[in-house]
Amino acid sequence: MKILVVEDNERMARFVTKGLKEAGHTTDHAENGRDGLFLAVSEPYDVIIMDRMLPGNIDGLTIIDALRKADNHTPILILSALGDVDERIKGLRAGGDDYLAKPFAFGELLARIDVLSRRRRQDATQTALEVGDLRIDLLARKVWRGTRAIQLQPREFQLLEYLVRHAGQVVTRTMLLENVWDYHFDPETNVVDVHISKLRQKIDADEERQLLRTVRNAGYMISAEPPPVT
Amino acid sequence: MTRVIRSSAVTLATGYVLLAFTALVLFAAPLLYAWQETIKDFRFEILQEDSQRLAHVFDLRGPAGLKAFIDERVGMQIAGERMLLLSDAAGRPLAGNLPAWPQSIPAHAGSYTLPVTLDGRHSMVAMVLATLPGGYRLLVGRDVDRFAPIERRFWYGLAGAVAVLTVAGLIGALLIRRALLARIQSTQQTVAAIMRGDLSHRLEVRSSGDELDTLAQTINRLLEQIEQLVHGIANVSNSIAHDLRTPLAELRSRLEELALTRPPVEETFAEIDAAVADVDGVIRIFNALLRLAEIDAGLRRSNFVETDLGELVAKAVEFYLPAAELKGLSLTLRDAGPTGARCDPVLLAQAINNLIDNSLKFVAPGGHVELEVERLAQGLVAVTVADDGPGIPEGDRPKAAQRFFRGDASRGTPGVGLGLSLVEAIARLHGGSLELADNHPGLIARMIIERGTAAVAGDPGHPRINPDRPRRDAEVTA
Repeated sequence: MKILVVEDNERMARFVTKGLKEAGHTTDHAENGRDGLFLAVSEPYDVIIMDRMLPGNIDGLTIIDALRKADNHTPILILSALGDVDERIKGLRAGGDDYLAKPFAFGELLARIDVLSRRRRQDATQTALEVGDLRIDLLARKVWRGTRAIQLQPREFQLLEYLVRHAGQVVTRTMLLENVWDYHFDPETNVVDVHISKLRQKIDADEERQLLRTVRNAGYMISAEPPPVT
Repeated sequence: MTRVIRSSAVTLATGYVLLAFTALVLFAAPLLYAWQETIKDFRFEILQEDSQRLAHVFDLRGPAGLKAFIDERVGMQIAGERMLLLSDAAGRPLAGNLPAWPQSIPAHAGSYTLPVTLDGRHSMVAMVLATLPGGYRLLVGRDVDRFAPIERRFWYGLAGAVAVLTVAGLIGALLIRRALLARIQSTQQTVAAIMRGDLSHRLEVRSSGDELDTLAQTINRLLEQIEQLVHGIANVSNSIAHDLRTPLAELRSRLEELALTRPPVEETFAEIDAAVADVDGVIRIFNALLRLAEIDAGLRRSNFVETDLGELVAKAVEFYLPAAELKGLSLTLRDAGPTGARCDPVLLAQAINNLIDNSLKFVAPGGHVELEVERLAQGLVAVTVADDGPGIPEGDRPKAAQRFFRGDASRGTPGVGLGLSLVEAIARLHGGSLELADNHPGLIARMIIERGTAAVAGDPGHPRINPDRPRRDAEVTA
C-alpha cells in the first residue's frame, strides 16, 4: 500500500515510516501542512496518516477539510496528541475516518490502517459473509460452521461479524471496544479477551482448523489461512 | 475602602431625602393650588351675593335707602374687614367705609383682585363692582391678606416636614453605614484570612436571610469550591509525584541496566517488552488524570444527552458477564426498565464499568455482584453495585474516592487507584455523589445522579411509591 505520513516530529515520523516499510508498505513523508496538502492532492494514496498540530499555517484538520471539499476521499487516520473525546469527535467531523491518540502502540496503528484501506471495498448490501467454512447470514442473523449451526448471543454475533468483515486483518482490543460495544475507554481487566475466548469456544471447539487466533502484542484475527510459520 | 463606604451610605441617604422632598413638594403644590383656587371662588361668591343683596335694597328703597343701610352696617361694624362703597354717577362717594374710589379701580362692572391703599396701608383686595340703575356704582370688597396667616402656617408646616425628613434621613444613613461597615469589616477580615492562605474561613451568615446573607452564602459556596479545587490540585500533585515517579523510576532503572549489562538478544527483547508495559502503565495513569481534570473543569456538560440509564447498565452487565463467570462470580441486574437521564453516556458508561470492574477485582470466586437502577425522589436516580467481597473498612471509606488511594485489600491487584475518584467526579458532574456503605459483608457503591429533564420511552418517570414493589430479579444469562 502507498501511505502518506504527515508528521512534523522527526523521530515520530521515522518510527512510523520505518514500521510501515517493515510491514511491506511504501511511504511518503511530509513534515509540514503545505507539503502534506500538496502531496495529498497530487499523488494517489491508499491511506493518509495525519498529525493535527503542524508547523506553518495549515494544520491537519484544514488539510482534511480541503481534501474532502476537493472530492478526495482517501481514507485518513488522524494521529494526534489531542486525545479527548471532544477532540476525537472534532477530528472525525472534519472528515477523518479514524482517530488514534498519541502515544500509541504501533500494532494498533497498523491494524487500523489495514481496516481503513479496505473499508472502501466493502459492500454494504452484503447479506452473507464467509471465512473458510464459517458462514454468516446477516439477514437471518444465523451462523454455521460447515453444517453445524452455531447459537450466538446478539453481542457475540456483532463481535463475530466485525471480525469476519475484517477477515485476514488484525483487529485490536481497542477497535473491538469502540466498534462492538461503543466504549471509548480501557477497562482495567481483560474483559475483551474473555469475550473472544468464549466466541472461540463456540466456533472453533472440536474443529480441525482454528479460524480465530490471537496475534501477539496486537489483537485478534479471523482467517481461513493457516498462521505464518515463524 | 472606608471612604467608599461612607460616601456610598451618605449618597444613598441624600438620594432618599431628596426623593422624599420631591414627593412632598409634588404632593403639596397641587394641594396649595386647589386650596387657593377654592377660597378665591368661594370669596367671590360671597362678595357677589353681598352686592346682589345691596342691589336688592337699592331696588326696594332707592339710593337714600341703600345709603342708610350701608351706613348702618358700617356703623355696626358688621362689615368687619369688608369694604363697602356707594357712589353716584360722577363717582362721588355717598356711603361706605372707603373715603374715595381708589385710583386703580376700573370703571366697568366685574370681579377683580387689585392692590388698594387704605388708611396708608397697602393690601390686596378682592372686589366686585356693580352698576346700579341711575348710574350709581357699588363696590363690595374684601382684604385678601386676611388669609395670609393661614398660608404662612402652611409654609411653616411644609418646612417643618422637610426638616424632620432631612434629620431622619441623616440618622438613617448613619445607621445603615454603621451596619454596613460592621458587616463589610467582618467580610474583609475573612477575606484577608483566606488570602493569608487559610482557606477554611467562611463569611458570617446571619439568620435574617437578607440580600447580604444570600450574597454571603453564594460567596461561601464559591469559597468551598475553591478550597476543594486547591486541595484537589495539592493532592494530585503529591499523588502524581508519587505514583508516576514509581513506574518511571522502574522504567529508568530497567533501561539503564540494559545499557550497562548488554544482555543477550532474547533477554534484551524481553526487557524492552517490559519497558513498553511500564510506559503503558504511565500512560494509563496519565489518561485517567487528564479525564479527571476534564470532568472537574465541568467542560463535558455540553455533551449531555437523553440516555436510557437502564440500558447503559444492562449493557455493562452483559459486557462483564463472561469475565465474572470465568472467575466463578454471579453478576446480576435487578432490572428497573427504561430509566431516562440527561447525562454524558460515555462518562456514565465508564463510571458504571469502573464500579463493576472494581467489584470483579475484589470479590472472591463464588461471590455475588448485584446491580440495581433505582429512581429516587427529587429527580435523582441511583446506580447501585453491591458485592460480598472484602468491602472497604469504615475508616477508609471517606478516603476511597480520593485520587491514588489504594486500600490494603487492593495491594497486589491491577489498577492505579483512580477508579473510584473517576466515578465520584462523574457523579459530581451529574449533580450527584458516590456513596459507599457496608453490605455485611462487602461493599455497596451507590452512584447517585440528577436525571435532568429526561424522557425515555417506557420510563414511568416517577419513583414508585410502594417500597414493597414486586421486583423482577432478572438474571442476565449468557
